Amino acid sequence: MIRDNPPRIQANVLSMDGLIASTARADCGALALFAGTVRDHHEGRSVSRLHYSAYAPVAERLIREIEVEIAQRFQVPVCRAIHRVGALDIGETAIIAVARGAHRAETFGAMQALVEAVKHRVPIWKEEFYTDGSRAFVNGCTLLAADELPAAASRLHCTPTQSQADAPSPQPNTALDPATYQTSPMDA
Amino acid sequence: MQVTVQCCGVTGQLLGQPALTISLPEPSTVRDLFALLSERSTDLAETLARSACARGDAIVPRSTLLRDGDELALLPPVAGG
Repeated sequence: MIRDNPPRIQANVLSMDGLIASTARADCGALALFAGTVRDHHEGRSVSRLHYSAYAPVAERLIREIEVEIAQRFQVPVCRAIHRVGALDIGETAIIAVARGAHRAETFGAMQALVEAVKHRVPIWKEEFYTDGSRAFVNGCTLLAADELPAAASRLHCTPTQSQADAPSPQPNTALDPATYQTSPMDA
Repeated sequence: MQVTVQCCGVTGQLLGQPALTISLPEPSTVRDLFALLSERSTDLAETLARSACARGDAIVPRSTLLRDGDELALLPPVAGG
């Protein structure tokens, strides 16, 4: 069944075909798709599986708000992202996203901005399980408002907590717009 | 008053449980709750310094006055995708 307004946080296997079908529009000549899959390594460590969790009441609302924000900023009619939670094996899909626009330039930009925003601004957590038997939550971006951050802290990926020996490399909390669209590594 | 706290992400690991009930004097704010929890360990205090607090579907500031029966969530730094 194709759902026009599916939950943005789902425990079941994600369907890109369903996302494509439910967002089809005659006025869009460009379709950008993204799927983030579980990788078998991170910062030199061998990863055996992941576990994603989310605080759904806020995550559902924020993803929808981000979709609207990005669609307006890039002037595209369709932005949608769905994130999976639960235990995922290597190769499984953790996030799918679609952007549709009249032309490719704004559609590519919207897609990247959408995925970056979902990764950095939505209460979703990733716990990595390593082949040596250890595990750690991936450190990420704070959801605190800027005026509530401790002086030494940053919204960027930063200092790992004790159990997070392998926090990801610093990445900007990208705020892309059509005029400054540029590529940056996506580590989904 | 009592509030229930859902411990998301690494905060559940640091607190050793996915949720807990906390008793606080009235009036208390989110800042007071975080200060109380931060006494449990240095690691938790460091994580809470970068964590947000949610009540329902809203992220609320540290100055928010708590109410008896509030259902809150600790939102440590996020890493989706």
